Amino acid sequence: METTQELSFINTLLPLVGVLFVIAMGVILLNQHFHKNLYRQQLEQEELKNLHQQQLLQSSIHVQEEERKRIAQDLHDELGAALSIARMHLVQLEQKQTDPELNKALQMVRVTTESALAAMRRLSHELMPPQLESFGVVKTLESVCDQINSADRISIHLEASDDLPRWPAAIELTLYRIAMEMINNTIKHAQAQNIRMVLSQESQGVQFIYTDDGRGIKKTISYGLGFKNMEVRVKAVGGVLETPSRPLGFHASLLIPLKPTVE
Amino acid sequence: MDEIVGLINKSAPLPVLVTSGYALLIYRRLTGELKIFTWFLFLSGFIQITSSILWFNRTNNLPLLHLYVAGGLVCLAWFYAGVLKGFIDGRIIWGGAILFSCFTITNSLFFQEIYTFNSNALTVESILVIILSLFTFIVLLNDMVKEQKSHLVKSLNWINSGLFIYYTSSLLIFYFGDLFTKKFPVFLNQYTWALHAFFSLVMYSCFFVGLWKRPKS
Repeated sequence: METTQELSFINTLLPLVGVLFVIAMGVILLNQHFHKNLYRQQLEQEELKNLHQQQLLQSSIHVQEEERKRIAQDLHDELGAALSIARMHLVQLEQKQTDPELNKALQMVRVTTESALAAMRRLSHELMPPQLESFGVVKTLESVCDQINSADRISIHLEASDDLPRWPAAIELTLYRIAMEMINNTIKHAQAQNIRMVLSQESQGVQFIYTDDGRGIKKTISYGLGFKNMEVRVKAVGGVLETPSRPLGFHASLLIPLKPTVE
Repeated sequence: MDEIVGLINKSAPLPVLVTSGYALLIYRRLTGELKIFTWFLFLSGFIQITSSILWFNRTNNLPLLHLYVAGGLVCLAWFYAGVLKGFIDGRIIWGGAILFSCFTITNSLFFQEIYTFNSNALTVESILVIILSLFTFIVLLNDMVKEQKSHLVKSLNWINSGLFIYYTSSLLIFYFGDLFTKKFPVFLNQYTWALHAFFSLVMYSCFFVGLWKRPKS
């Protein structure tokens, strides 16, 4: 009798335990599925945030470059024109003037005007080299190399194949600005004799390698504003900039993907 | 005691009708998941009115319960699929609802005929709703979900609480339903159903508060 009662009790209770087990398992499995989905959503949100940040960077760099371009144009067209006219008048006055003392003074003013004109041209070119838009980054860097080599202080060499295509304006501008920043750093701080730049197109994107034989950068040194600017520019085009530490010289490798990460 | 039990049993349809009537009144002003949920309330209201009419005519109204169990779970699955959209694959919920519908049809055709109490289907329905409501509590606790559904969280919590309270409390009544009807005296049966009516009252009160606390703008 007792066994029958026990059996009846077990028959009623066991399915109930099963029911509770099913509920618990159901909740646990759904919870796991939920956390997986939540993780995916968090990743998507992070990606969106990064994308947004990249777009902000791009737009801020774009605004900066547009402003530089405008200033360069204004300098060239307005100040440049005014200085050229002033120089022309000075030349005419020089030719008309017979008084040698006054002529000498006029000559001095003309030379000063000419050096101001040259400085203005240099500034305007530095702000936005006109050949960058027309001939591309390779030709512009070649021209920079020629200028630096002509000064005989440092030897700079650019290796780039002739059949390199033109890249999107944002990439070309980034390459130019980074190359210029590195060259400036080398000239100012590295005490280097030689600079070597290699520009190529790989399957992953545009590759730019920069090396000099100067003092190099110590691991402990904190990077300045120039380097941070380079990082910002690289980030804006979705590139990767590596500057491995070396006992001698400075080495940097930059890879910019050609497929835009921002749509 | 008997009077109280009788009163509870007699007034059981009232909260259902009040809540579904209120849902009908504010239907146009509701959005998203709350609008979906009102279909469950409309179904409950319709079943309640029809079963009361049948009860007054002394006709067996249990076939309506069979219909209500299947339709109710489909409505709740629709509601939960909406609430949990983006956090769980909707196919899991809909798959469960379809399987349950097949099960309840089979149960009504071969195991517990439509003129008998369908305790099997009610038990399984309770299990599914408990799983979904417990899981929804976990989901609604998450900060990211709170942020995404900030305007609906209060209403959803009330509705989910109502469903959780009713189905967990009634699970045992449904589980032992057949046994109660067959083996226990009528007065004990009445007590059990009075208890069930009380749980139902709590659930519909929660629904009412949930709809009341709906996003107003």
